[in-house]
Amino acid sequence: MDQPPASTAPETAPPADEDEELLEEDLLVEDVSIDGMCGVY
Amino acid sequence: MSVLDQAWELAPQVSVRPEPFGALLYHFGTRRLSFLKDRRLLAVVEALGDAPSARHACAGAGIGPSDIGAYERALARLAATDMLRERTA
Amino acid sequence: MSVAVPLVEHFARGLDAPICLTWELTYACNLACRHCLSSSGRRDPAELSTAEARAVIDELERMQVFYVNIGGGEPTIRPDFWELVDYATAHHVGVKFSTNGVRVTPEVAERLAQSDYVDVQISLDGATADVNDAVRGEGSFAAAIRAMEHLAAAGFSGFKVSVVCTRHNFPQLDSFQALADRYGAQLRLTRLRPSGRGADVWDELHPTAAQQRELYDWLLAHGENVLTGDSFFHLAGYGGDALPGLNLCGAGRVVCLIDPVGDVYACPFAIHDAFRAGNVRDDGGFAAVWRASELFRTLRGPQAGGACAACSAYDACRGGCMAAKFFTGLPLDGPDPECVKGFGAVRLAAVEPGSAPRPSLDHSRPAAVPVTIGRR
Repeated sequence: MDQPPASTAPETAPPADEDEELLEEDLLVEDVSIDGMCGVY
Repeated sequence: MSVLDQAWELAPQVSVRPEPFGALLYHFGTRRLSFLKDRRLLAVVEALGDAPSARHACAGAGIGPSDIGAYERALARLAATDMLRERTA
Repeated sequence: MSVAVPLVEHFARGLDAPICLTWELTYACNLACRHCLSSSGRRDPAELSTAEARAVIDELERMQVFYVNIGGGEPTIRPDFWELVDYATAHHVGVKFSTNGVRVTPEVAERLAQSDYVDVQISLDGATADVNDAVRGEGSFAAAIRAMEHLAAAGFSGFKVSVVCTRHNFPQLDSFQALADRYGAQLRLTRLRPSGRGADVWDELHPTAAQQRELYDWLLAHGENVLTGDSFFHLAGYGGDALPGLNLCGAGRVVCLIDPVGDVYACPFAIHDAFRAGNVRDDGGFAAVWRASELFRTLRGPQAGGACAACSAYDACRGGCMAAKFFTGLPLDGPDPECVKGFGAVRLAAVEPGSAPRPSLDHSRPAAVPVTIGRR
């Protein structure tokens, strides 16, 4: 019933970046800005 | 040179808060939060200041050769985001 | 080596202490903004004393809460404001305070520029006086700009200019960025919620569906340095790139509100008995409320998707903002009123006018009665 929205993803990167993405996923560290959680104004 | 062969310490404006799943690091200057997803990584980070190199800190925390790559990447990330700084002394 | 539980799951289940939180210091305010989320204006007679406030800071230090966003009302009009800011930073709790700028004099700006642990957020809802003052009152734009000039002159770069996105300021996004750039500040865009006095103006002020889509696109294109407080996580339902942030409702899980009388609410957009977890004056103080309140236990458990569970966007948007749903009279286990697929708008049409919950507290100053001077 709901239609998939138009993709806004950038063009796919060359393969070297894919490896980096895989490494990102099992990285033991994740970062976010302290401003990045909802419920603080 | 790999981050593993350098001496590191926590940046002075970083606060470390252990969590059941690992730890939270907050840098008061950059306002960035880093999540350490693993308790052994927390142990490594806490040992860095007194260890001759990150490699020594990892060994002390029981990190074996099959896992060391992931810890190297994690430490590199922490250095890149200013959570860690090179130790001169 | 495996990481069994995704990080966002750890947060959804709640931490032993907040990461940060909002602390409204007083309900007193020199302004009467039409959309005020805390319905502020008049001080409450039961507001925490200086000693009680220091005790809260002691608890936050013990819990290792990293920082507090001190707001209100207008927090700088509390006589002990600076004492409390200094006490917090001396006790390892970082401070960012939200202000309309009324007391940010050149001397105050100098003092702030020198502190590493205090940040400032100037509230502004229009890039021009006409748009801003229509919401925040005559003279408020000028006061905010003055504060920004003082901060810039004192060398305080990176202070925040925080904007609530409305139908009327929406065309000014680029102008807001230019304004922030001019004063060396960082722009912050946040979501209008139907909370506090916001309930009365929400129909009139909330962005249209088309504007909301444009906002999402603008943030993706220009928003690398724009903060959002993760307040647009409901836009994840568009299914495109994610906006920076945890993309989760932090209320009662990693953040909360402490109000001027010590009540603890899930978040500053949910000042209502339904979202009140306890009071810092209760036995065990803030820590006991955070760790053991029934409300927070419920929020930290699995959430029912209800009507949204079958939607392909649910994994991304998680049904949106509970405060937005609550104060528009929508059920919490259904779509957000601004659901990007339009399901919220449909449900809103069925809400009986006047049936939505009203805020539990109202500290608004009585509306000024126009004075007419007649001839006898």
